[in-house]
Formats: sequence, structure tokens, C-alpha cells
Amino acid sequence: MREKGASISKISATRVIWFAGIVLMILIVLAPIFVMFKYSLSDRSSVVTGGMPIPLWPYHPTVEQFEGLATMDSFITAAFTSMKVALLSVIISLAIGTPAAYGLVRYRFPGIMVLATMLISVRLFPDIVSVVPIVETFIRFQLVNSVLGVAMAHSLLSTPYVIFIAMGVFEMIPRDLDEQAQILGASKLYSFTRIVLPVALPGLAAAAIYVFLLSWDEFIFAYFLLAFGELSTLPVLLQKVLSWTPQHNLLAAISVMLSIPVIIFTFIVQKYMQTGATAGAVK
Amino acid sequence: MTRIIVFTRKNLFSIIILAPAVLYLVGFLLIILFKVVALALTRVGPQGDLFPTAYHFVELSRNPEFRHALVRTIWFTLIGTPLELVIGMAAAFLVVREFKGGGITRSLFILPLAIPAIVTAIMLYIIFDFPGGHVNDILMGRYSFFPFQVISHPVDWRGSGFFALMVSILGKVWRDMPISMLIILAGLQAITKDQHEAAKTLGANAYQTFFRITFPLLTPAMSTVLVLRSIEVWKEFIFPFILAGSYPLLATLIERAYHEWRNPNEACAIALVLLVLIIISTIFIFHVLKWLRRRLVRV
Repeated sequence: MREKGASISKISATRVIWFAGIVLMILIVLAPIFVMFKYSLSDRSSVVTGGMPIPLWPYHPTVEQFEGLATMDSFITAAFTSMKVALLSVIISLAIGTPAAYGLVRYRFPGIMVLATMLISVRLFPDIVSVVPIVETFIRFQLVNSVLGVAMAHSLLSTPYVIFIAMGVFEMIPRDLDEQAQILGASKLYSFTRIVLPVALPGLAAAAIYVFLLSWDEFIFAYFLLAFGELSTLPVLLQKVLSWTPQHNLLAAISVMLSIPVIIFTFIVQKYMQTGATAGAVK
Repeated sequence: MTRIIVFTRKNLFSIIILAPAVLYLVGFLLIILFKVVALALTRVGPQGDLFPTAYHFVELSRNPEFRHALVRTIWFTLIGTPLELVIGMAAAFLVVREFKGGGITRSLFILPLAIPAIVTAIMLYIIFDFPGGHVNDILMGRYSFFPFQVISHPVDWRGSGFFALMVSILGKVWRDMPISMLIILAGLQAITKDQHEAAKTLGANAYQTFFRITFPLLTPAMSTVLVLRSIEVWKEFIFPFILAGSYPLLATLIERAYHEWRNPNEACAIALVLLVLIIISTIFIFHVLKWLRRRLVRV
């Protein structure tokens, strides 16, 4: 009898600790995100309080910061620059990464796995170590302060990911598909571009979104390549605004605009990765 | 020779589709390595360039700023890496069991990954502001939900090396928590129910089950976290750059050498030191873990 009581209290004690842990963790995870949204909706009196504690919710919530961004030239330009850089790096890294992944999966000659590991582990090379040599090299080729330069640097970071994701996608596609096409007289190139690629598209779309986000977020290369020019991507603009006028509500509003697409797409990609890209390809 | 030609002809298509990526990635990697070493070993002088020379390394070893940055970086990694593992493990243990709303909780825990690092750094800049930021207000007991006065005067978080780097570590650990969590979670889910059942049948209590079953079986996942995260913490740039500008680590000192001192050669020398440190530490961690695993898991 007493033992039973003891065991119940023990279970509920671990339950309580576990529940408290969950609540605490959720609070810690949400705190900075909440603060970001709160500050972006803050009016001046809720940021500059003249010695009063900062309110947990703005006194007069307002969207004036976002209205201000719509007419802020540097923000609009930076948003477009970020878009261009991200799209260009998607194009570059998919164009060179996808065929390579197909080659690594379909053609087994000796040393191919070593090559695959080598290509993917390029990503482990510290970016802060490679940034000065890259900038010094790019200066010579007029690639500093240009969209193309930043996109090239970003595709250097993202191509290993593309190869990794695309290898997974191509491994899921049965070999019968290309073999049957080749038996029917299609060339290797034709069976890759017209038969395998269409089936692989959903998986590659996930890779594309991933690369886009990586470029959209990236700070180090963008900062070093654009530090003294007219161009800025959004993360670089954030740093510039911070060093000019650290207005907390303006910083938060730019942060929200930078984060929202990332939050949305991160969850989309997660769902995408789980749906089989090859359902119904081979009957 | 003919064999090479035959091989090439047979595999022409695969060589052609592999070439761009190999050339791009390996080519750039070789350029980077060559340039880092070349710049670090060159002294640009009025009478022309001197190569090879250890001048920059000798200069750095005399430079107090470099020494401070080196010590800070070592502390930063020593504190940051275990924290990444512990917090990631805690999160994984919290969500591993099935419960109502588990899926949503897991998604919530992945949220930090979806916030750009620069945004997280700037949010911490705002939260830990001086004199009037949220953290100072909370610790001074100025909110009704936490009426305890921990400090009597606001703390200047960015004005002390210790606090500034602690806040940077906090940001880094917050942002990377999901990665560590997912790796540990995969390790936890790989442990089958049978193994726990067997332990129970043999009369093990909860602690014994944890230390004899769960912990040893988790060592591969924990090793992965430690090796990968330690590399990440060594080279951390964004958080210290935004939050601890006056207290550079090696990574942020590279930026300072390049932009403020206008000295690419010195920047590359620092980068080379950092690279060597990362390689040594990775090999070291790898071997220590191997030795530990042999001691822990007696199959």
C-alpha cells in the first residue's frame, strides 16, 4: 500500500519536473522572438522610457515602423539585392550541384564515395578563415561590391548541401527508370534531363529553398564583400543600421522582415522533405 | 595510357557532369588554402615583398591583443561546446516521450534555427541593453511578475569582457540548440524498447538504466554533437562581432586586422592560427571520445 503511494508520488514528481522543463524551454525559445515582434510594433514612448522599465507590451502598438520601411530607400534596395543574390546563388549551386549528385549516385567507379565525401566536407572548412583569401581574390576579378561576387561566395557554401540533398533524391529514384529509357534508345543525357530530372523536381525544389534561405541569412561573406560599397544585403543593412543609429524599434522591424520568409519556408521545407519525391514514378 | 583513354571514353558523360562541381569546390578550396598560407607568410615592405617569413607570427605572439583574443577564444570554446551538448540533450530528453502536443512542441524547439543569426544577435543586443534593457529591468525587480531585486544598479553587459562573451555564448547556444537536439533525438529514438525492458527485467532501477543503457548507447550521437559543435564554436563570428565588439575572439580579430589595421597578411596569419587550433582540437576530441567509448561500453 505504502509502496504504491510512493511510486505514484515519484511518477508525479518526475512529471512535474518534466512539465516545468518543457514550459521553461518554450519560454526561452520564444523570448527573443517575442521581443523582436514586440519592439517592431513599439511606439517611441515604449522604447525610450526615460528611466521607467521597458513595458512587456507597447503602450500604443503601432505599425509605423513597417510603414517607414516601405518608404526607406536603403531597405528597399537591400531587400532587392538580397533577393538577387539568393536567386543567383540558387541558380549557380543547382546548376553545378545537381548533375554532380546524379553522377555520384549513378556511376560507380573506384573512389567515387571518397570524391562525394570530399565535396560535401568542403562545407566543414571555416568560413571566417576563407573569407579574407576570397575577398583578396575577388578584388582582382572586380567581384567585390557586386551581386555576382556575393552569389558566387554563397554558392560555394551551398553547393555541398545541394549535392548532399540531391544525392538523396536521386537514390530514391529507381535505376529502372533511366535503364528502361536507355533500352528504348534514349541517350544518357536525354534520360537524365527528360526522365530523371522531372521526377526529382520536388526534392530539388526543397534544395533550392534551402539554398535560398542560406544565402538570405548569410552575413560573413556578404559583409566582407560589401563592407565599403553602396550595395548591402538585408543582414549587412541591419549591421549598418546598428552602427549608425541603434533605434531598437527600427532594428526589430527590419529583423521581422528578414525573419518571416525564413520562418515560413523552414517549416515548408521540413514537410516537403518527408513526402516521397518518387511516389508513383515506376509502375 | 590507352587504358586511361578507354576509361575516359567509357565514362565521358559522368566525367562531364561531375566536372563543374569538382572544379568549383576543389578549385576554390585550393585557392583559399594557397592564398591563406601565401599571405600569412609574406611581409609586404617598402623594398618589396619578403617570402617566406614568419614575421607576422612573431609579431602576433608579441601582440597583447592577439594573446587576449587567443585566451578568450579558448575559454569561449571550453564553455560553449559542453553547453551546446547539455542544452541540446536536455531539449531532446524533454521531447523524446510521446505526449499531447508533442509535435507542436518539437516544431517550436526547432524555431531558433529559422531565425537568422544576425537577428538573434541584434535581439540579444536589445534585450541586454544598458542602462534600460529587459534583462536589467527584470534583475532589478521592476516587473510585477518577478518582484525580486537581484541587482541594485543596471549592469553594462557590453562593457565587460566576461559578460559580453557570456551573452555571445548564450546567443550561440540558443541558436544551435535545435541541431544538437535533433542529433541526440535521433540517437535516443534508435535505442529500442527491448533494451530498456531487458534492463528492467534484470532488476535495474531508473538510474542504472540511464547510466548503463541510455548513456553508453548515446555516446555516438554525443560524439557527433561534440565534434561538429566544437568546430562551430571555435569559428563563431556573428555573436561576438555584434555583442562583444571591444573584446575580440580570434574570429573577430581577423575582421579587425583586415578592416581596421588594413593588413590582409596579418589577418591571414590569425586565420591560419585559428585553422590549426580547430584541426588540433578536432583530432584531440576525436581521440578522447574513442578512448572514453572503449572505457564506457564493454560489449
